[in-house]
Amino acid sequence: MKKFPIVAMLAAAAIVLTACSSGGATDSSSTSSAPTDLKIGNFLDVTSWDPANADIGFDGPYLSAVYDPLIALDTDSQPIPALATDWSYSADFLTLTMHLRTGVTFSDGTAFDASVAVANLEHLKAGTLSGPTYANVASFQATDPTTLTITLTQRDDTLLYLMGLGRSYMVSPKALTSSTLATTPVGSGPYVLDASTSTAGSDYHFTKVDGYWDASTYPFANLEIMPITDATARNNAMLSGQINVNYAAATDLPQAQQNSWNVSQKVAGWVGLQFIDHTGSMLAPLGNEKVRQALNYAFDGASILQSIGSGAGVATNQVFPDGGAINDSSLNSTYAYNVATAKQLLSDAGYASGFSVTMPMSPVFQQWQAVTQQSLADIGVTVTWDDMSQADYQTKAATYPMFVSYLAMDSNPNATVAQMLTTPQWFDPTPEYTQFPELVSLVDQINQATGDAQTALIKQLNTQLTQMAWWSVWYQANNIYVSSPGITVTPITGMMFPTLRYIQQG
Amino acid sequence: MLRFTVRRVISGAILLVAISIAAFFLSHWAFPNPASAILGDNATPSQEAALNSKLGLDQPIITQFFSWIGHAVTGDFGTSWANSRSVTGELASKLPVTLSIVIFATLISAVVGAAFGIVSGTRPGSAIDRVVKMAAVVLFALPGFWVSLVLVIWFAINLKWFPAVGYVQPAKSFAGWLDSITLPAIALSLGAIVSVAEQLRNAVVRVNGQEYVRTLRSRGLSRGRLITHIVRNASPAALTVLALQFVGLLGGAIIVETIFNLPGIGAVTMSAANSADIPMILGITVVSVLFVVIVNLLLDLLLGIVNPKARTS
Repeated sequence: MKKFPIVAMLAAAAIVLTACSSGGATDSSSTSSAPTDLKIGNFLDVTSWDPANADIGFDGPYLSAVYDPLIALDTDSQPIPALATDWSYSADFLTLTMHLRTGVTFSDGTAFDASVAVANLEHLKAGTLSGPTYANVASFQATDPTTLTITLTQRDDTLLYLMGLGRSYMVSPKALTSSTLATTPVGSGPYVLDASTSTAGSDYHFTKVDGYWDASTYPFANLEIMPITDATARNNAMLSGQINVNYAAATDLPQAQQNSWNVSQKVAGWVGLQFIDHTGSMLAPLGNEKVRQALNYAFDGASILQSIGSGAGVATNQVFPDGGAINDSSLNSTYAYNVATAKQLLSDAGYASGFSVTMPMSPVFQQWQAVTQQSLADIGVTVTWDDMSQADYQTKAATYPMFVSYLAMDSNPNATVAQMLTTPQWFDPTPEYTQFPELVSLVDQINQATGDAQTALIKQLNTQLTQMAWWSVWYQANNIYVSSPGITVTPITGMMFPTLRYIQQG
Repeated sequence: MLRFTVRRVISGAILLVAISIAAFFLSHWAFPNPASAILGDNATPSQEAALNSKLGLDQPIITQFFSWIGHAVTGDFGTSWANSRSVTGELASKLPVTLSIVIFATLISAVVGAAFGIVSGTRPGSAIDRVVKMAAVVLFALPGFWVSLVLVIWFAINLKWFPAVGYVQPAKSFAGWLDSITLPAIALSLGAIVSVAEQLRNAVVRVNGQEYVRTLRSRGLSRGRLITHIVRNASPAALTVLALQFVGLLGGAIIVETIFNLPGIGAVTMSAANSADIPMILGITVVSVLFVVIVNLLLDLLLGIVNPKARTS
């Protein structure tokens, strides 16, 4: 399981931290020629320079500056070569063989080879945050200096995607065994951190590596990343020209237009109700499909998206990303807002007078508390809120039958199935699909299929889950990036902030 | 004066120890399972147990306390559970940022507040007095975050005189450092300027009406020397307010640090509280209290020097 749903919560918090935006100024730094310096305003500071303890979410720009991954993703989230030049699976999908790039050295002069890759992968497998990516790996083996063999305990269709997402960064073997890895990165990436001019927590300066093997992918001569948690401060930094790429809020868009900045956005997470109890073991009504469907009809996702999400996103009732291979726009009308239908379904299920439910609440989710309470009250469902800190929400929310959630999405369909349905997560510690034979059958078929057949089966699963009202999804929220003229950002669903290869001149 | 100083040092030390003890037990009570918060939702029970053992959390709470305070008195506050950095090192890097803007704001408050207070206090009822009083009301009513934003828009975005965000270490560039703390310090100081000016103005008016001032005036003392006498006797109230403002500014700095994206203790405090980083929480608490004690001690000593009667109170 990836860590970034937690980071996604912080992103959800960021959405509400946008009330006060300054206005009226123009960006005098804007030029028609492509800037040679990339200055990023990121939402969060780097969690750790140790890839095993880093978050995929907002750590991408930092880690991709100094480290090379074995595998990267293209703009369609398909695995592409990086330090691994090619790879292939055995017929039974239990052995993955990779050939590695030669002539690569880390910034401390150490050479990269298969034994270094094995040491790194074992380090990543042991990591609390990175470990789940390699949960199905039995062993890593350096067959020869340029060949790596990964043996799996079971087929894992998410492995290459997760490695490309940010779980295969390679660290110098010397740094790997040092105690300073969390604060001092030593990699083979396109840039090196300039500690003498950087201030931890404030701004990080990087200098480009001469002769880097993939220099054309990283066109900027100088790189600076400033972690700025406050959205207003980030926008001010953009207006003043201190940064030229910003993780923006929807409320910043008018100024972006006024300043002729480039804007790119893509769905990043879904907002709605996470049902923990589909069998009625904690709250009897939730075991009834009609009740869950009523809880879908009760919410006007499009209105909530406009009023709370500033319209930055897509009203949908699916957890597969809008615009992806699985999301079916024709399903979005399945639970069009209809209080009368919701009440009728409750009545049909034997809950004509509604029922009561206790739900957790933390500061991050308070932006959706009022609409949740009102929407449920409209169909006769009474909510009692248990207020708690965000840290407690993280550990306790899943002990309630349902709760308000903002969960990061994956662009890879198999990863979405694993993340949202089949593998234990903090928001779903005991996946209940195993108690529904129709879902078990579909998941089994997906795990056996490949290519288009597998895609068709996942679409079928999506339809099934929507009909079963497995969640009450209100909308999918966008992550927004603005950049000065001459810089373009390509958002990737699955990365809260895209890695540097997706930030280009042009 | 020596007894007075010793008494103040002892009372400050008692306060520091008492708050340290309370902070230790309250933080452990508030975060009963920090291993879970640190490792996140992926952690297995065995990983949590291993971390508890590594951090000493499997020891009795009293044992943990004496271990912590034994190191704390040597200046070693342990290692952050969130990022594995030394707490003392983190405080050493973050505290100068916060102290930079707080001390600068205090200096601005003292100078500008004193100027306003003296000018309006020596001319009560005059036009300038009324202007200063009106300005005081307006400045006091302005929210700090709004003032910060206005300063950023005008002086950073429009005029580009100062950076909108960020901090430059003085060792890297003194001018850059001054640039980076000027707007935050101004934003932080406005409320304190008003308080100091109000206190000093009222004290100057009161002292100005006393008989010894009339006597001095009748003896033909120059206006400058007369004001020196008046301010010396009127200053204790303003000094007290200034010291209290210093403590308040430490708290107010959190908002200013957020708006100007300064890597001070404000963000670290929030982050430590959210991530159950008890060593960091305790380090920040102890050092903050230490500064409050030191500032109050200095104020007491200053008041004792300015006004000998204060030594016996």
